[in-house]
Amino acid sequence: MTMYLPQMAKIVKIIRENPQIKTFVLEFRDKEYNKSFSYEPGQFMMVSVPHCGEAPISFSSSSTRPGTIELSVRLAGKLTGAMHRLQPGAMVGLRGPYGIPFNMKELADQNLLFVAGGIGLAPLRGVINYCLDKGGYGRITLLYGSRSPDDIAFKTDIDLWRKNGVDCRLSVDTATEGWDGQVGVVTTLLSGLEIERPRSSLVCGPPIMIRFLLPELSRMGFRDREIITTMERHMKCGIGVCGHCHLDNRLVCVDGPVFDLAQLKELAVEELGELT
Amino acid sequence: MAGLATTFGSGAMTNSIEEIGRADVILVIGSNTTEAHPQVARRIFSALDRGSRLIVIDPRRTALARRADIHLQHRPGTDIPLLNCLMRLILDDNLHDDVFIEHRTENFNELRDMLYRLDPTEKAAVANVPPAQLKKAAELYGRANKAVICYCLGITQHICGTDNVQTIANLAMLTGNVEKEDTGVDPLRGQNNVQGACDMGALPGVFPGYQAVSNEAVRAEFSGAWGRDLPAEPGLTILDMTHGGGKTVKGMFIMGENPLLSDPTLEKVRNTLENLEFLAVSDIFPTETAELAHVVFPAASFAEKTGTFTNSERRVQMVRRAIEPIGECRTDSDIICALARRLGYEMNYESSAEIMEEIALLTPVYGGMYHDRLESSWGLQWPCFNRSHPGTVFLHKYNFARGRGCFVPAAHQMPGEQPDEEYPFLLMTGRVYHHYHTGAMTRAGNILNRESPEALLEINPVDAESLTLASGEMLNLATRRGTIKIRALISEQVAPGMLYTSFHFTEAPINLLTNAASDPKAKCPEYKICAAQLEKIN
Amino acid sequence: MKGLILKKDNLVPLLRKIRKGGKLVAPVQNRHGDTLFEVIDDLDRQQLDLEHQAQSSLKPFFFPQNDPLATYNCAEDYSFEPVVSAEPTVYFGLRSCDLTAVLYMDVIFSQNGADTLYFARRKEAILISLGCNQPFAHCFCNNTGSGPFLEYGFDLQFTDLGDSFYVEADRARGEELLERWSYFFTPADEDDRKKQYQAVLEARSNFRRTVHVDPAVKRLAADPDLQPVWRELSDRCQDCGGCAYICPTCTCFTIVDQPLAETHGIRLRQWDSCTFSGFTRMAGGHNPVNHAEQAIRRRFLHKLKIDVEKHGRPSCVGCGRCVDICFGGVDMIRFIAMVNDLKLPAEEK
Repeated sequence: MTMYLPQMAKIVKIIRENPQIKTFVLEFRDKEYNKSFSYEPGQFMMVSVPHCGEAPISFSSSSTRPGTIELSVRLAGKLTGAMHRLQPGAMVGLRGPYGIPFNMKELADQNLLFVAGGIGLAPLRGVINYCLDKGGYGRITLLYGSRSPDDIAFKTDIDLWRKNGVDCRLSVDTATEGWDGQVGVVTTLLSGLEIERPRSSLVCGPPIMIRFLLPELSRMGFRDREIITTMERHMKCGIGVCGHCHLDNRLVCVDGPVFDLAQLKELAVEELGELT
Repeated sequence: MAGLATTFGSGAMTNSIEEIGRADVILVIGSNTTEAHPQVARRIFSALDRGSRLIVIDPRRTALARRADIHLQHRPGTDIPLLNCLMRLILDDNLHDDVFIEHRTENFNELRDMLYRLDPTEKAAVANVPPAQLKKAAELYGRANKAVICYCLGITQHICGTDNVQTIANLAMLTGNVEKEDTGVDPLRGQNNVQGACDMGALPGVFPGYQAVSNEAVRAEFSGAWGRDLPAEPGLTILDMTHGGGKTVKGMFIMGENPLLSDPTLEKVRNTLENLEFLAVSDIFPTETAELAHVVFPAASFAEKTGTFTNSERRVQMVRRAIEPIGECRTDSDIICALARRLGYEMNYESSAEIMEEIALLTPVYGGMYHDRLESSWGLQWPCFNRSHPGTVFLHKYNFARGRGCFVPAAHQMPGEQPDEEYPFLLMTGRVYHHYHTGAMTRAGNILNRESPEALLEINPVDAESLTLASGEMLNLATRRGTIKIRALISEQVAPGMLYTSFHFTEAPINLLTNAASDPKAKCPEYKICAAQLEKIN
Repeated sequence: MKGLILKKDNLVPLLRKIRKGGKLVAPVQNRHGDTLFEVIDDLDRQQLDLEHQAQSSLKPFFFPQNDPLATYNCAEDYSFEPVVSAEPTVYFGLRSCDLTAVLYMDVIFSQNGADTLYFARRKEAILISLGCNQPFAHCFCNNTGSGPFLEYGFDLQFTDLGDSFYVEADRARGEELLERWSYFFTPADEDDRKKQYQAVLEARSNFRRTVHVDPAVKRLAADPDLQPVWRELSDRCQDCGGCAYICPTCTCFTIVDQPLAETHGIRLRQWDSCTFSGFTRMAGGHNPVNHAEQAIRRRFLHKLKIDVEKHGRPSCVGCGRCVDICFGGVDMIRFIAMVNDLKLPAEEK
């Protein structure tokens, strides 16, 4: 049972990122555990909320900033709804970290193109902060698509990243009064963009976005190994047993969630259509 | 019920379920069999595996319809013109069974005259079915050596429900597909013991075994056994009670039923229940109805009681107590007996076996059903008149229960409500596989509720496009009686102009919307059809 | 280890002794004629049934349908308390397919760290299998390499020789048991060994079905994209999950909280099935699996392709239970026949 037993963690702070997304800053109740806890960019935790069971949530923080962890949660179902109703001081259960992280060693010295849609920026936020804190990475470019200007999440982070030399470009599907940036899906931000080798693109967002983005990136000359994404699935155990997160002959919880396009092309991934 | 009683003399499935698997042609009408009656569907599948042919008549392209040799996707509420048309085509092709009609039936001339007067092309147009398909279906059913018709609530929950059933019976008799093994007409009963409840007289005008309360000899027999004078007048139908506004009856004891979600035009039901002087509810879980009750009796579940259930094929089967009732729960018979004693009627049975003995004594078709006989078998099928009677696999062998089968011709009747400019859609209601009735039990089950967590409104892609609607968007669904919020599911199962949803969900109580117009004979409300409009919620 | 002989008359007396050391589980025919594995409380009243295939496998004993992982409290604080329960148990009369299934579950539940609950029960278990002289109606374990007799994996294996059982041990726990109750057994002689060998040979020729598992496995390895098959079987599937529940090697589960009151509840591990649409549906409604067309694709590919890649053999053990349970005839035997009957794309041209 120990493998399924959550560690209790206290919500120390809640940041409202947009109408649907909150970032929960958490601290394990067990001080020793909190101190020794470590994780890598791209991994996730199984989160317990009273009476709601568990759901997988990616780290939106970076282990380069120890002491607390951050999970950004979009309001989607029963568990996330209950989590959104919690106040600072409340407890949740956490077990993990799980999953294959981004290979940060391999990405060192590369120019990195991050492309995110909606809540997809949450896991990439952890990676960007990791790169900035550690240093040793090339130029960082972020393309971020939201539905509307009100839906743009992680605004504080984006401002900070800009100050630290990250080239952040934003687009919205539908503009409102006062928006003078790009309008359209996130792929429109790719036009005219040049990323020099060595390079990789890290992509995270809704399946439909990824489906359209992958061929665009290939057209720009990114090799399959240079296009890295994370897959999302319903999960229950997080440790490769329960079967829910099947992706062809892989399990997203232990063989992913990070996959590169070369790997994905070997698999039948229905939501991504025919990958060529 | 009423329909088959008039034509055949008995209102139950004529076959055993097993026989369906041996028919050469199976005609399924008004039944989403794979979702509502999987055990029947499995026989249909095995028949198909043997090479049998399947005709499905359903306004929706259900999973079973996809496997059919012929699917007649007709307009809801046009079963009579469609079936009459089939019969006319059978007559024209000389595929009817003269000998059977001559020797086993009566009143054929009236049907024949009516069929010869109708215009098949016009009827096909009314039903919105290609005439060529109808012709194929008529030939297939008409030429079948052994054919079975299965129908369900898609036939009965109409303003013309009884006439629908009689028309089905006409079709079966016309081709001689009844009274013989592996042929027949089979109403599929929904709830596991709805047949048993009907058998036991849970109908307004009959004692157990369909013995009319108006029959003096029958009444005398029951009075003798029960020691009380019994009324000769039929009681009220369910809508007379639940739509009575608290005037027709002043107190109610509702057992295992949740009218505040299941009956049409819920506003009227709520008004009635709130105006009762007294309401008691007995159920295994809290229900919407129980919330209004003055007294709630926690009832025992199937696993906590001993007795019998009667299934669709008239089979009476034992159920045995596996665990003691939990907490303060008591069995239904315990609750009734205790209540009767408090009301001054000494009702005492030492066991459910003793109750069964009383049933056998007073109910001829159950005359040979005793627990000791049922205990050691898969049950007995009524009629079973005495201890040595083996039970009855299929009804009307050699002779219809009423003597001769009676043809009762029927003409098309317009549904109680039709789409118009203001309410342009036709809304049908039904069930989903994962939930039972109002979900009092199934929505408490984790996996069942995960599989089907909310009501979905099926809408054709063409209509969705004209409303610029995507699957998953929320809608206001309105009829002349009310409005509910519901999520859209774009689906080719429904034809353009049609909508379909289920009634299991208290969050989207569809019976706020349904029409209380009901069949004048069976009093069954027209759940299947009403006119509706849609509006996207932004 | 040399074979031993147990006279059939001595079987019940032996089981009576064994039962004193812990629980005994064996196939029992109940008064309705159903044969199920049951905990034996009374050897005189419960009718051991070694003639019929048990309708269920041993799966529920190691991996129960509803298995409490923990109790939780959420009154003021939020905390979890683990639940573990296991006691020494001897399982008698399981068939080779069921034993193979347990060995498969051992592999599944030891991935990424041994599953505490499963192995707590498994470590307390002694498995005594009974080879099948006469395979049952839907059996095809000869085609899945899981019977009718096994060469290893059992603690003890019994072979029916008519008036006695030939008994062999493969694992230490089996040998210990034989030693502890040695006075029930006599050494097998050459004649017994011949008879046992003969029984094994005859059993192989007694199968009523031939199911071409290997060609289907090869076909799936080459081309798993069998749209017509998935479509037809998905239409026939009635979504009951019976195949997964009855299958001795289906181990997918979900984890749910069952509230007992506002302030506390139980966290359960519960059987689940990849044929359910909710199995993959994510919060918000997106489902990466097209349920209408592919409800059963995962199930068959997992058994006959993915497990072959991962573990070197299909995870179907040929017990045939899915044939009996399915309402729509969506069973392994039909699937394999459909796959083998499909024309290869090359042939179509």
